[in-house]
Amino acid sequence: MTGPSRGTSAPNPSSVAHRFGAAPADAVPRTEHVRVTAPDLDRRAGMERTRGRIVLVAGGFALLFTAVVGKLVDATVINPVKPRIEVQARKPDPQPAPAQPGMQATPATAAIVPPPSATDFGPRVKRAAITDRNGEPLALSLPYADLYANPQIVYDVDEVVAKLRGVLPKLDAANLKRQLTQQDKQFVYLARRITTREQLQINALGIPGIDFEFAENRRYPLGTVAAQVLGGVDIDGNGQAGAEKFFDERLRTDRAALRLSIDVRVQAVVRDELSKSMAAFNAIGGTGIVMDVRTGEMLAMVSLPDYDANQFRRATDEQRFNRAISGRYEPGSTFKLQTAAMALDSGAATLWSSWDASSPIHYGRFTISDFEGKKRALSFPEFLAYSSNIAAAKVALAVGPERQRSWHQRMGMMAPVPIELPETFKTLTPPVANWKDIATMTIGFGHGISVTPLHVVRATAAIANSGILVRPTILARDPDAAPPQGERIMTQQTSDTMRRLMRLIVSDGFGKSAEVPGYFIGGKTGTAEKSGRGGYKKKANIQAFTSVFPMQAPRYAVYFMLDEAKANASTFGYATAGWVAAPGAGRVVARIGPMLGLLPETTNAPAIAQSLAIPLVPGRPPGAAPAASPPAARPATPPAPRPQAGQPPANPAPAVAPRPAPPPQPRDPRQEAAPAPAPGGTVVAVR
Amino acid sequence: MSGMERRLIRDNSFDITSKLFRISWIYVLLLSALAGVGYVALYSAAGGAPDPYAARHMFRFAVGLVLMLSIAMIDIRFIQKMSWLAWLGGVVLLVLVLKMGNVGKGAQRWIELGGMQWQPSELMKLCLVLGLASWFHRASWEKMGNPLFLIPPLIAVAIPVGLILKQPNLGTAVITAVVGGTVFLGAGLRWWKVALAAGGVVGGAPIAYSHLRDYQRARIDTFLNPESDPLGAGYNIIQSKIALGSGGIWGKGYLQGTQGHLNFLPEKQTDFIFTMLAEEFGLVGSLAVLGLLACIILGGMLIALRCRHQYGRLVALGISMNFFMYVFVNIAMVMGAIPVGGVPLPLVSHGGSAMIMVMIGMGVLMSVHVHRDVEFDERQRDL
Repeated sequence: MTGPSRGTSAPNPSSVAHRFGAAPADAVPRTEHVRVTAPDLDRRAGMERTRGRIVLVAGGFALLFTAVVGKLVDATVINPVKPRIEVQARKPDPQPAPAQPGMQATPATAAIVPPPSATDFGPRVKRAAITDRNGEPLALSLPYADLYANPQIVYDVDEVVAKLRGVLPKLDAANLKRQLTQQDKQFVYLARRITTREQLQINALGIPGIDFEFAENRRYPLGTVAAQVLGGVDIDGNGQAGAEKFFDERLRTDRAALRLSIDVRVQAVVRDELSKSMAAFNAIGGTGIVMDVRTGEMLAMVSLPDYDANQFRRATDEQRFNRAISGRYEPGSTFKLQTAAMALDSGAATLWSSWDASSPIHYGRFTISDFEGKKRALSFPEFLAYSSNIAAAKVALAVGPERQRSWHQRMGMMAPVPIELPETFKTLTPPVANWKDIATMTIGFGHGISVTPLHVVRATAAIANSGILVRPTILARDPDAAPPQGERIMTQQTSDTMRRLMRLIVSDGFGKSAEVPGYFIGGKTGTAEKSGRGGYKKKANIQAFTSVFPMQAPRYAVYFMLDEAKANASTFGYATAGWVAAPGAGRVVARIGPMLGLLPETTNAPAIAQSLAIPLVPGRPPGAAPAASPPAARPATPPAPRPQAGQPPANPAPAVAPRPAPPPQPRDPRQEAAPAPAPGGTVVAVR
Repeated sequence: MSGMERRLIRDNSFDITSKLFRISWIYVLLLSALAGVGYVALYSAAGGAPDPYAARHMFRFAVGLVLMLSIAMIDIRFIQKMSWLAWLGGVVLLVLVLKMGNVGKGAQRWIELGGMQWQPSELMKLCLVLGLASWFHRASWEKMGNPLFLIPPLIAVAIPVGLILKQPNLGTAVITAVVGGTVFLGAGLRWWKVALAAGGVVGGAPIAYSHLRDYQRARIDTFLNPESDPLGAGYNIIQSKIALGSGGIWGKGYLQGTQGHLNFLPEKQTDFIFTMLAEEFGLVGSLAVLGLLACIILGGMLIALRCRHQYGRLVALGISMNFFMYVFVNIAMVMGAIPVGGVPLPLVSHGGSAMIMVMIGMGVLMSVHVHRDVEFDERQRDL
């Protein structure tokens, strides 16, 4: 490499043939008389020395570079690390998953291969193991022994001390000697919890008077992973919290491993993203949930701050607190999905309704206003996309207190979430007597009611899952068994419309930052002020994003919530959910999608996008009920007939921003599961 | 008298044009080639699109190049005069970041300026090199043997290293100390002192380990056995190793890397960009990138050798060492050879402030080369 030196034509005439770094004498025209002074000589000697040192450092560089190259050859060619995952032939899903024609073959439809004996860890322990859905051990009981002695039988104490310290060097010689010379005792513990290997070695020493006591120790090999879900046991092995407590009886009586629905890979990704977001926004806590919308299986349930499950007894209450099921928060704008769904389903509003959101609502001492309001009339899709509180209050009022209450009752908002964990909590809802207009309005945008994050996830999943509410579970379901029967809360049509509206919020609304190309996420942001003593705390917010993907054939619900996240420069000073929570949810989807066998859809993306598209301002179909005028206190018009709610327009007026229709897509039979495009292709893609 | 004449001969046309001719354009070309590698890799990291990484990368490189060439025009003697001022400025920035910097990922490292996040510790490394080179630039062999003479520069290293440790940022603190130590070495530190320092480091490591923060210890533990924590801190390294392994000799082909594109590989646009290249271009491609990096580092060393004043030599040596440390730590990190430490691959990784810092360093290096034959003031005192 001679570039730097040859790269220039130095004006110095004598610089042509010199050694690199040679003393500068020959740089001077030779004819010149040079007076060489002592400091000059000294300086030259120093330069000469530095030259040697530089060459030496360069040699060091070369050496280290060679080492790096060697390591690189080793890592790529000689000893390449193979992925721990294996391609697994997937059974055809009963409900066809989003079709993947033409996708590159990758090991993404993969699962960790379960260990050969996933049901039996260790022959001697009594308490059953707990594993994740792929058989990865989460909690194990390991055999260990307590070492004790009968000092009255032990003789030649010095020799015994030397022998024991040969195996257990940690033991203190003086202390050991003192214990073994207590002639008045017949039983003294010398060491607790020694390993089986140490036990065998000591046993082989054959020292009279030394014996062992069998005991077992609960270990959590993955540390913080799913710590709050697993809970823990006390010193005697009794379940004290989490699954250990809920399934205590089962774990004691049946030695087969208990298989949870948690997927440690998904759990780790959610925890990783949550802790990154917490650090980035200085949040005090957070929770993340991933749930299978069809079966209710929890693939991940993370609550931060957390703790090493092996240190359960030393963890603080704050760390043990499982926000996902014990934290009661006002759901905020995430509840607008419920308000919208109940309005569509009950017929209190239609897709073509619109509401005046130009000025705040004053009702008694309350004022309901919008964050970044549009200050104009909003269509139904706009009300969700721009998360208008004013419109939500008006929609809720149109539904009315009775129907709203009964909806939330059926959605399970009035009771603890039925999940197999002891830490579930009752929700806080207004009593019937107080569930009047004002409560209806505030509940319409998620205030005046406190539910757990899992309540929100479950209800969001129900909206996306054809309107069927399932029971959440932390137990892995047998894929061959009949799918669990859920309760239908709304019509299929309402669900179809809501799916497109949820998608619209992410493609064009406040949830934009959650977008991951190819995964068609749909969801809703929610920023709720935390209530403290004497009212709401303006600066302390709960920021949440509740979502489901992929929207054309919903599979997984993803919930991402931060507690008291603060704005930073990357959010331009905003601490709202759209800025702090939605991006995290998007990153989670991008990372867990391939793990769960869902590859980003690329080939059919335009067709799917079109099938999910819904205009921000839908044209009104002739003959449909007129748009609900802004109701003062009650819906002014009688509810539209039920079947019309959520139905695509039969022959709508031209949409506001028509674009050329995309070229016809070849129809793929595997796409049947995706919602059928609107008849006649009348819905104009807005994106 | 003679000094006068020599200056007349050497500085005959020291205007901007002749300075521009003295710039090593081949070196500039090498740097541009490396930035081009960055564009290719970042284009792939974004899933085959210039946004959001690659286009901005090129824009920043253009800004950095202008900055570099401007700095190269500054007289090295002026830079030498400003050396200690620069050192002081770096220390002030480090104190500021401790007092009011943004806390990110559990450490106070950043200062917000011009829409970018700046790590003053990056600037500090350059300022430290300038300060030390200025101190040693007239040191005689006798002076180098005098322990009292070595105390001020030792303090000049200890202050920034201590401040960086306080952030806490162990990796950068170690790199800063190593870069500073290299200038000592280049200045002609006695070998037995070098051996003593090396021995001290080896002996002191276990003591230092016990004083580390938990996350730093976790990094070292993970490095010693990445498989011990496959879902936590070891995840990155394992995924990175899988990516390297799946690349093989020829790679999977451009834009075909599954580890990177399916998001198995975290931080692929920053710290783990080399893994991404290795997966897609295989051993051959990564050796080519390594070759390019080696050329740039050796080029810096040649600039040091070609320079005719001690100050320039030491500065060029320190800057080359700093660049080498970036490269070595990053690549060794992604291969799991040393603990993970958030060091980017210079001019390739996504990240604005790091690139600007590297280009500022390259500007000073180029100034050394442009002013390789200048005389420092001491001659005038001879007259």
